[in-house]
Amino acid sequence: MTPSDSTLSDKPTPLPPTQWRDYQWELLRTPALDPLMHMALDAVLADEVAAGRRAPSIRLWEWTRAAVVIGRFQSLKNEVDPVGAQRHGVEVVRRVSGGGAMFVEPGNTITYSVYAPGDLVRGMSFQDSYAFLDRWVIDALGTLGIKAWYQPLNDIATDTGKIGGAAQARRGGAVLHHVTMAYDIDADKMVEVLRIGKEKLSDKGTTSAKKRVDPLRSQTGLARDVIIEHMMQTFRTQNGLVDANVQAHEWALARQQIEQKYGTAQWLALVP
Amino acid sequence: MQGPDRTPARHGEYKVPGGKLVVIDLNLQGNLLSDVRISGDFFLEPPEGLDDLNRALEGVAIDTPDAQIIARLNAALRPESEMFGFSAEAVVVVLRRALA
Repeated sequence: MTPSDSTLSDKPTPLPPTQWRDYQWELLRTPALDPLMHMALDAVLADEVAAGRRAPSIRLWEWTRAAVVIGRFQSLKNEVDPVGAQRHGVEVVRRVSGGGAMFVEPGNTITYSVYAPGDLVRGMSFQDSYAFLDRWVIDALGTLGIKAWYQPLNDIATDTGKIGGAAQARRGGAVLHHVTMAYDIDADKMVEVLRIGKEKLSDKGTTSAKKRVDPLRSQTGLARDVIIEHMMQTFRTQNGLVDANVQAHEWALARQQIEQKYGTAQWLALVP
Repeated sequence: MQGPDRTPARHGEYKVPGGKLVVIDLNLQGNLLSDVRISGDFFLEPPEGLDDLNRALEGVAIDTPDAQIIARLNAALRPESEMFGFSAEAVVVVLRRALA
């Protein structure tokens, strides 16, 4: 270690090389998609940002059908009740990021992905980058009258319960950061398709997964679309945002990756 | 002991306080760990690190001191690896639970 190194370490953590406003952010909205297409598009769009072929983007998710999305490192058997999932017509898929299983039904969640250049969070701890990439959402909820905050490691919470959770995957020079917030929830169905053990809840101050989530519908009384438009407007005001589309070659890549990876039994049972 | 349907015979779960859930499934061959499978809702970059951790435990004797297993797990990860919500120490906690 040279003297200049020790001098450097005394300085405050430098700001990341870039700021939100250094990019022209694009908003991607699509018709409702199948669960597998959501999985593949997340990988493809993050990789396109990493390769510099796509502007940093935000994508809003709409679902054609109910799904359980398990995390990259979760055991399929431990997380999903296959009988319950089949009975309720719930498709089970595995995503590219770590974190926990989520149960979604069309219209019941607000899910979005942020495809950010790594420079935007360079030098930050993982913990700080989660809160940083969702700052605009916390602000948006705040102006809707919901006092929300980031509950480490990766939850968005309010006084009355958890609203949502985030997960990240680093892909090349890009960060995929995606979030699912509960708008409405069929908690009885959820506990029939997800296996939520006591150990997982052991430090959550509750013994019931049903009681843990308090959705946006009951907290705001607002229509889902109204909340989404407000969120997008908040992002637009803070960081700039233009409407854009998923490109033909991106759709093609995603379809290819469903066939070769995300739609295969090997990927779903990657951790059996 | 092998489960009758060849599912791993030992299972442990550990929720890291303020962190994520770590799960382990494994078999024993004599006093050696085998078919080790770590899972959970933690984060790990790059994701291939999960295989590194599983491999690091394969064939390890159950009476190996915890500190040695922790060192072995940390050494198995690539230098650029990052664990978020768990640690090598947490893996050893869940391992001991599975063996208890």
